[in-house]
Amino acid sequence: MRRGSLLLALAGVVIVAMSGCTKTGPQEAGPPAPAVAPAAPGPGAATPGKITVLMVPKLKGIDYFNACEKGAREAAQALGNVELIFDGPTEDKADAQNQLIDGYIAQNVNVIAISPNDPDSIAGVLKKARAKGIHVLTWDADANPEKSGREFFVNQASSEAVGAALVDEMAAQKGKTAKVAIVTSSLTAANQNAWIKAMKARMASQYPQMKLVCDPKPSEENQQLAFQVTQDLLKTYRDLDGVFAISSVAFPGAADAVQQAKQGGKVAVVGLATPKPMRQWVEAGTVKTVILWNPVDLGYATIQAAQALAEGKLAAGAKALESGRLGSLTVSGDQVLLGPPMEFTKDNIAQFDF
Amino acid sequence: MGRFAPASVSRENWALLGLLAATVVAVSALRPAFLRPDNLLEMSRFFVETGLIALAMAPIIISGGIDLSVGSIVGLSVVTMGLAWRLGHVPLGVGLAVGLGTGLLCGLGNGLLVARLRLPPLIVTLATMALYRGLALGLGANAPVSDFPTSYYDLGQSYYTVAGRVQVPEQLPVLLVVLALAWIALHRSVLGRYVYAIGHNERAAWFAGAPVARVKLALYAFSGLMSGLAGAIYLSRVATAKADAGTLMELDVITICVLGGVSISGGRGDIPGTMLGLLIVSSLVRGLTLARVPFEGQKIVLGLVLLLAAVVYQLIQWRAGQVRPVAGRSREDGREMPPAQGE
Repeated sequence: MRRGSLLLALAGVVIVAMSGCTKTGPQEAGPPAPAVAPAAPGPGAATPGKITVLMVPKLKGIDYFNACEKGAREAAQALGNVELIFDGPTEDKADAQNQLIDGYIAQNVNVIAISPNDPDSIAGVLKKARAKGIHVLTWDADANPEKSGREFFVNQASSEAVGAALVDEMAAQKGKTAKVAIVTSSLTAANQNAWIKAMKARMASQYPQMKLVCDPKPSEENQQLAFQVTQDLLKTYRDLDGVFAISSVAFPGAADAVQQAKQGGKVAVVGLATPKPMRQWVEAGTVKTVILWNPVDLGYATIQAAQALAEGKLAAGAKALESGRLGSLTVSGDQVLLGPPMEFTKDNIAQFDF
Repeated sequence: MGRFAPASVSRENWALLGLLAATVVAVSALRPAFLRPDNLLEMSRFFVETGLIALAMAPIIISGGIDLSVGSIVGLSVVTMGLAWRLGHVPLGVGLAVGLGTGLLCGLGNGLLVARLRLPPLIVTLATMALYRGLALGLGANAPVSDFPTSYYDLGQSYYTVAGRVQVPEQLPVLLVVLALAWIALHRSVLGRYVYAIGHNERAAWFAGAPVARVKLALYAFSGLMSGLAGAIYLSRVATAKADAGTLMELDVITICVLGGVSISGGRGDIPGTMLGLLIVSSLVRGLTLARVPFEGQKIVLGLVLLLAAVVYQLIQWRAGQVRPVAGRSREDGREMPPAQGE
């Protein structure tokens, strides 16, 4: 076959694919029909009373999500009837989460609790899970609520509270007219974007003279990239007063860059991260405050919410969620709130082992 | 010259069929749900993109080349489709043309450098892997696009309903058509004979009148086009145009080809084997996910299977007397032409 006709035939392929016979619309267009009849046993067929929860982090193997897993296991053990599967991709990629969840949908899981890498790309597969009768929760980061049909979002702290805490801390360290930049995780991460929005709102209302020198820079959950991006910022903006590094991977990278440039004190680094990896920068004085919630508690609350959802105790209109050792958590609309952000400083950081 | 158009199933492919059967038996023993038709059909949704590129990669490797830039081309095509939508809100047909056009241009770039300037494919595509990814990041880094209309999601997320109840993922027929075309082109056409001839001995093929440069150009252009098509399907499936699309995909594709019996030194391999490789890798990943084997465990199993395949191929070649181990070195006898020197 000659090259020309090969290409021509390929163009045909696309046309065939786009115009074929009966079609079911994409997930967003309506409730997807279950693939092949409902003859297959649904999730309800599992051992009665036992609840299988698939908990998916953005990626495995970093301190932050390890701490979440620890709390989740603690809750599963305390509750007794929860079987926890904690599995996620080894890299920060939305597609890997899609494929993983699609595989688990074919099994008898009752609840999927996910921290999505991307709120839109995960929506289709979550919607499919809902159509098969699987409960869906998001935690840590949210999915697109309308497109995905997820039932609740276990929110570590409201975005407004996190944004305010970050900006207030920067103002306290560098004053109300500081020139600042933001190093984020990935530009599609829903929670980072929500915090950035809240930070900008806080600046506009409380510190109108604080100035963002450039758009947020992505570091893609890669500490080396965060280091490099921060180094570039320091070189490009000689009068920079502060850097916000708002992920547990971006923060150590940014702190390292500032310390190696011997700009500690001159350039403040304020951000969100787990305490253990930040301890060296806090003790060296490069970083004064690490802002976060307790990720162990976040994992714990997520499993509490997952069980309550499966047992019908957490449903639309709920105002509170009983959460074991955490007591009663506020439910606001479709969000379960963990509480106000937590601050780690030189005085208390050594007490936290995650 | 029977290998130019193998009419019967080769020993390698019998071994692969056995490996596929073993894989299916093993994973369905772990999880009987694996064998449910809806699971198998849903699994196919995830292998169409790598499958399309593997169908283009296999002939390239058989011709003695390699294309490391395919993952980057996927990323760049996804980004240009995203940009086309964001800047111009172009209809689906135009968006697809942009994605496919991007892929084709990238592939032609590779092909011209390899075929006309006679640069080594490894170096050319290593360079364009960085170049195309850099372009994707530059054009798309600050702007992941995800506000596409739902029509863009048809190809990746919807189903054809066959016989009233069986739901076939919409991208699967695309793969089947390309599979048929690739099989005809490689095993039933003059082009295919040239590909094997070039892979065996490029210089001899040239002396025998094969249009070496044109064949190579076509192979790399096709690879680019398939990467663009895979990008369009990826965008439709994942619903977000982000510059990291297709990262490390070249390794998945090469894994499939090599597992499928395509010899990295050229001249050997076929389309059925490549597709068996695709099915084995996909079944393993899906089956192990079903069996709740975590991500890292899946990688270990995949690595072991790949090594097993390499050992089996070696044994088959020893038994066939084509390559004998001689004091740690291999010596080829007259049944296969030695590769050209200095190419």
